[in-house]
Amino acid sequence: MFRRTLTSSLAVALCASTAIAQDLPQAGSDYFTAAQGVLAERVNAQPNTNVAKNVILFVVDGMGINTNFGIRVFDGQQKGMLGEEHNLPHDLYPNSAIIKTFNINAQTPDSAPTAGAMNTGVKQVFNTINMADTVIHDDCSTEAPLTLLSEMLSEAGKSVGVVSTARITHATGAAVYAKTANRNWENNAPEGCVDIATQLVDQMEAGVVDIALGGGARSFAPEGTEIEVGAGNRPDDVNLIERASEMGAELVYTAEQLAAADMSAPVLGLFTASDMNYEHDRPEGEPSIADMTAAAIEKLQANEDGFYLMVEPGRVDHASHGGNAHRTFTDGVAFAEALALADEMTDDEDTLIIVTGDHEHAIVFNGYCGRGTPITGLCMDVASGQVEHSGEPVLAADGKPYTVVGFGNGAGSVLVEQEDGTYSGERPELTQEEAMDPDYLQQALIPASSESHSPVDVGLWAKGPWAHLFGGTMDQEMIFHVMHHATLEAEAAE
Amino acid sequence: MNRRGFFALASGAAFAAPLFATRATAAEPQVRLRELYNNDMSFTDFALEHEGQRVAIEGFMAPPLKAESEFYVLTNRPMAVCPFCSDAAEWPNDILAVYAQRVVDVIPFNVKIITRGTLELGTYTDPELGFVSRVRVVDAVQERA
Repeated sequence: MFRRTLTSSLAVALCASTAIAQDLPQAGSDYFTAAQGVLAERVNAQPNTNVAKNVILFVVDGMGINTNFGIRVFDGQQKGMLGEEHNLPHDLYPNSAIIKTFNINAQTPDSAPTAGAMNTGVKQVFNTINMADTVIHDDCSTEAPLTLLSEMLSEAGKSVGVVSTARITHATGAAVYAKTANRNWENNAPEGCVDIATQLVDQMEAGVVDIALGGGARSFAPEGTEIEVGAGNRPDDVNLIERASEMGAELVYTAEQLAAADMSAPVLGLFTASDMNYEHDRPEGEPSIADMTAAAIEKLQANEDGFYLMVEPGRVDHASHGGNAHRTFTDGVAFAEALALADEMTDDEDTLIIVTGDHEHAIVFNGYCGRGTPITGLCMDVASGQVEHSGEPVLAADGKPYTVVGFGNGAGSVLVEQEDGTYSGERPELTQEEAMDPDYLQQALIPASSESHSPVDVGLWAKGPWAHLFGGTMDQEMIFHVMHHATLEAEAAE
Repeated sequence: MNRRGFFALASGAAFAAPLFATRATAAEPQVRLRELYNNDMSFTDFALEHEGQRVAIEGFMAPPLKAESEFYVLTNRPMAVCPFCSDAAEWPNDILAVYAQRVVDVIPFNVKIITRGTLELGTYTDPELGFVSRVRVVDAVQERA
């Protein structure tokens, strides 16, 4: 399938009048004509300088360019295509940029300061959230909080929402509303500092956060206290669920309750005790990320002054930490479905949609594989005579096949701990059936209990008001500046 | 219900395991750990049909909670410990508590093993570790797959 184009009559006219197309032997190729259509689209593109009434920021945790490629091909193959020709919704957005992700003191970033940069406009310190550059990680006395985009937009009358498939107190989601010297202070903080769960309820009470949906209910109730989805684990005796309820918030715990929610009051949805399930494992009754995104937009659209919504497909990252590409990609497809729904529910004329990752993983894609090679399976050889792969696995120098996906480090390491504590091993024999099993861990090199993030750049895709401000290679904090410009600065200029 | 473990400090109390069965001599039916649970965490037909019987379960030995113990947790995939996922052990839902016949020789967390023993269903709280399990294999032996 070729790129879908929004070819206008003007674009058709442009194509027809293009001399190049009349003389070249390749002019009849579908690739050629599709590219000509895109060219016409680009020639005619006009910047959208409307005020952004709404902003939706999708932060796909752990999705750099590599992971985006894997999700794209996986999704395409699930839809019956060879895969490579497929486009995820955001692949077709008119504006994009390459984003640098480093933290003030880390070449390889973590999700707390990266999301913090998007929400404050400045780089931040490893493992901290929304603190000035003087903060010392894990030192409560050094906390120096920054002002958040959510606070500015709320002050201007907009509503704010946060959705995550991880715990709602986890780093990326927390960066919308919290400020902390340690991202792990989710349910407890040293005296003088405030834990992240308490900060969420504080921000709901202050009118900054209007809807928060995700996992992580355990941080909202005292240890051992039975709640709808497990038990609390707070070391203090504070029951934040009761507090939220007493201040008028609507609490929901299942997909059914979310769908039936009144939505007139602030909404706190806590669907699991810890992280929500991977899409592959998601039980009936637990909302999908699309369900949560749609519910949040529906709630936020009630405000005629607009909204800011951050959506975090959080477990793309966790699956890669576990070295399991199947769950990385299935959660990625679930994200794409949520994005498509968000796009359908909003208007490009007044809604800025941004898609990015906070960092990449140590995920690699091996070659040389033929077209349509199953992206979670063995690398199949290029076939002579086109188009699809030959069906014969490519063999490495050790005579064994290998998967397209590999990891630089992690639990799938081919070096295994021996009884004497040393590490050694060889690549095991591998069948296509084993490789494509949903629980298979792709081979990795460096042994580690968890696969790591990577410091390489990530992609950003955007559409809507002022999306054209993204371009080239940018630092992550530019995301804040564009969102701020598209909303508050653009409105002030009118 | 909460199926995650709560770990008491090592108390030195005698290690109490649930009901032990006599090991059968016949070859046990062998399945992967995931074949005991449905997505909603209800038990599969295989699990229900083999309660109280000898079975062989493929999985991975999670890093032990306690040294020199007969107890370990079998996981469906290697138990990757993610520093950014949590500040504490995050047990997946689909785990199996194993009470071995003797003190376990630890096998690395990412090496596939086969655990053979008697399948027990139903909630059980380990009196020493406080570990809550819904499904167990007892009187177990294990080997690399």
